Amino acid sequence: MSGARVSSACAAVLRRDLLLAWRRRGDMALPVLYALIVATLFPFALGPEAQLLARIAGGVVLVTVLLAMLLAFDGLFRPDLEDGSLEQLMLAPQPLPLLLAMKIAAHWLTTALPLMVIAPLMAGMYHLPWPAMKVLLLALLIATPLLSLLGAVLVALTAGTRRSGMLLALMLLPLCVPVVIFAAGAVTAAQQGLPWVAPIAWLGAALALALVLAPLACAAALRIALDA
Amino acid sequence: MTDTSAALLEARGLTFLRRDEPVFGPVDFALRAGEVALIEGDNGSGKTTLMRVLTGLLHADEGSLLLYGEPLSVERASGELAFLGHQLGLKLELSPLENLRVAAGLFGQRKGVSPASALASVGLAGYEHEPVRRLSAGQKKRAALARLLLIPAALWLLDEPYANLDREGIALVNRQVERHAHEGGAVLVTSHGAVTFLNGAYRRIALAS
Amino acid sequence: MNKLVYWYHKLGSPPTFYRFAGVLRPWCLAIALILAVIGLYGGLYLAPADYQQGDAYRIIFIHVPSAWMSLFIYGVMAVAALVAVVWRMKMAEVIAMQSAPIGAAFTFITLCTGSLWGKPMWGTWWTWDARLTSELVLLFIYLGIIGLFHAFEDRRHGARAACFLILVGVVNLPIVHYSVVWWNTLHQGTTVRIFGKSNITTSMLWPLLVMMFSTKFYYAASLFGRARADLLDLESGKAWVKQIASDEEARS
Repeated sequence: MSGARVSSACAAVLRRDLLLAWRRRGDMALPVLYALIVATLFPFALGPEAQLLARIAGGVVLVTVLLAMLLAFDGLFRPDLEDGSLEQLMLAPQPLPLLLAMKIAAHWLTTALPLMVIAPLMAGMYHLPWPAMKVLLLALLIATPLLSLLGAVLVALTAGTRRSGMLLALMLLPLCVPVVIFAAGAVTAAQQGLPWVAPIAWLGAALALALVLAPLACAAALRIALDA
Repeated sequence: MTDTSAALLEARGLTFLRRDEPVFGPVDFALRAGEVALIEGDNGSGKTTLMRVLTGLLHADEGSLLLYGEPLSVERASGELAFLGHQLGLKLELSPLENLRVAAGLFGQRKGVSPASALASVGLAGYEHEPVRRLSAGQKKRAALARLLLIPAALWLLDEPYANLDREGIALVNRQVERHAHEGGAVLVTSHGAVTFLNGAYRRIALAS
Repeated sequence: MNKLVYWYHKLGSPPTFYRFAGVLRPWCLAIALILAVIGLYGGLYLAPADYQQGDAYRIIFIHVPSAWMSLFIYGVMAVAALVAVVWRMKMAEVIAMQSAPIGAAFTFITLCTGSLWGKPMWGTWWTWDARLTSELVLLFIYLGIIGLFHAFEDRRHGARAACFLILVGVVNLPIVHYSVVWWNTLHQGTTVRIFGKSNITTSMLWPLLVMMFSTKFYYAASLFGRARADLLDLESGKAWVKQIASDEEARS
């Protein structure tokens, strides 16, 4: 008999989730489409004035990406819970937080990364100037994994409940307020020609902290959620 | 090293409550290496709940559960036990072979067994690359049984392993269980009591509802 | 220390807590009402009108104690949640879960009175002031906890999950507050300070403190009542509840 090494277990989980996403790649397009639709609606409501659109561009793109990610969160644990894969994951002789970190990473790669690809397109529709666009992309690059990690903890908590999209939104709002504030703050500062490094640095610090703590919290939450 | 004289799995006064009403218990048993035990009970007698308690995923309210003489926790139990529940833990979009490779990555694999050979010994040769979604219910069950053969676990917890299986599949489960016991493992099987397919010497643990 | 442990276990047992809370509840309620009458009399009648705000400031005798309570109750819940998550103690789950609606109510009162106060002060019903915004986020945290608790089929299961969420909120709440303060200074500069450097006179301060104690006792009375009702439901299969039920029947 030979046990599995942690690295091969992590690789197996990551490969499986990416493969699953690839087999259902149609689903991957849905959040992207949703974000595009929401971003298209704002100018109709507010008017096509370029100056106004440029001023709200950073905020709109951030919130749109956030909402699209929220839409995709349900797919993080629920399919695994329903077919029993999650039990097998929890019974594996491996550190559960690490395995969950792999699942979160795969989820980020398949839902948030496509959103980041179309973010410049959305920002372009709002006439966001190039220097601010760079800051927006940097902010998204840090803020989206942070949101994935924070969201994963809450999704794990709701894993034992009936379908609960609205509840998840309610629970996630307090957690994402600081993320939105700092990410949008950086873009606004860049647009006004002010230094924008400080809010980005705060986001980076939060991400570093979340990378360590969120998988642990996620594992604890999942154990609580399945203990019934 | 683990103490081999202690029972592989031992339950003492194990009780699980839901809203202060016992779902099962108190249950007492000791399972030694090489033993097979059948947990019998009617629908709703708490067989599935007991199985989940034995995996360590659920906490029992009263009593204690010992693995090799030490208190069982999900961290301690992982790797020692293989669990086959009502939900098979197979990904429908992946092929049986891909599913087993994931299991091997997570749990490791027995010496001399590969995902392909495990599939062949449950009679799924030729279906290795078919997505699990296209397999019949019985074939899915066989794919899940192949996981038991592949991963190195001493204790098997099988919750209603005979459901959806044909006569040949039932014989296959029995052969697997006997061989596992013969090789020094231990097996717990649940059944709702009407028909028992296990043959040979085995213990019965009755759950009253 | 031994005494403390003794009481911890004693009050952790539902029948003892039920009796203990039943004895204390009327007293707490009476003290809360008396203190409220004294405090409101002092605040609304005895205290002088503010030289800048006139009589409008008098809403602080509701607003400020409510705001303190909204945080105090969260603190109580956090301690109970920690005990519930670590030691899986049923009584702590009950305390945390039954405190949440009371805390949400105080938060809601804080927001409403803050908004009412904002109209004469700032000329608007709502301003994105750092304190008000944090309070709004706190309300969402409370609602999330209550929502999660009720989303589970099994009550104890829901309570454990919600207790975990309370602990997540403990970490999150200060972060939200400081980020909102930062955001606020970035966007609109500091707004009106509610208190200067303790420029509040004694005649205004004592009714405020009396109201603070009144709300504390009200919370205790309300919590005891809610927890008692919840315990009867939660332990409905146990002998001590059946005993109470048969006693009640005999009396009527």
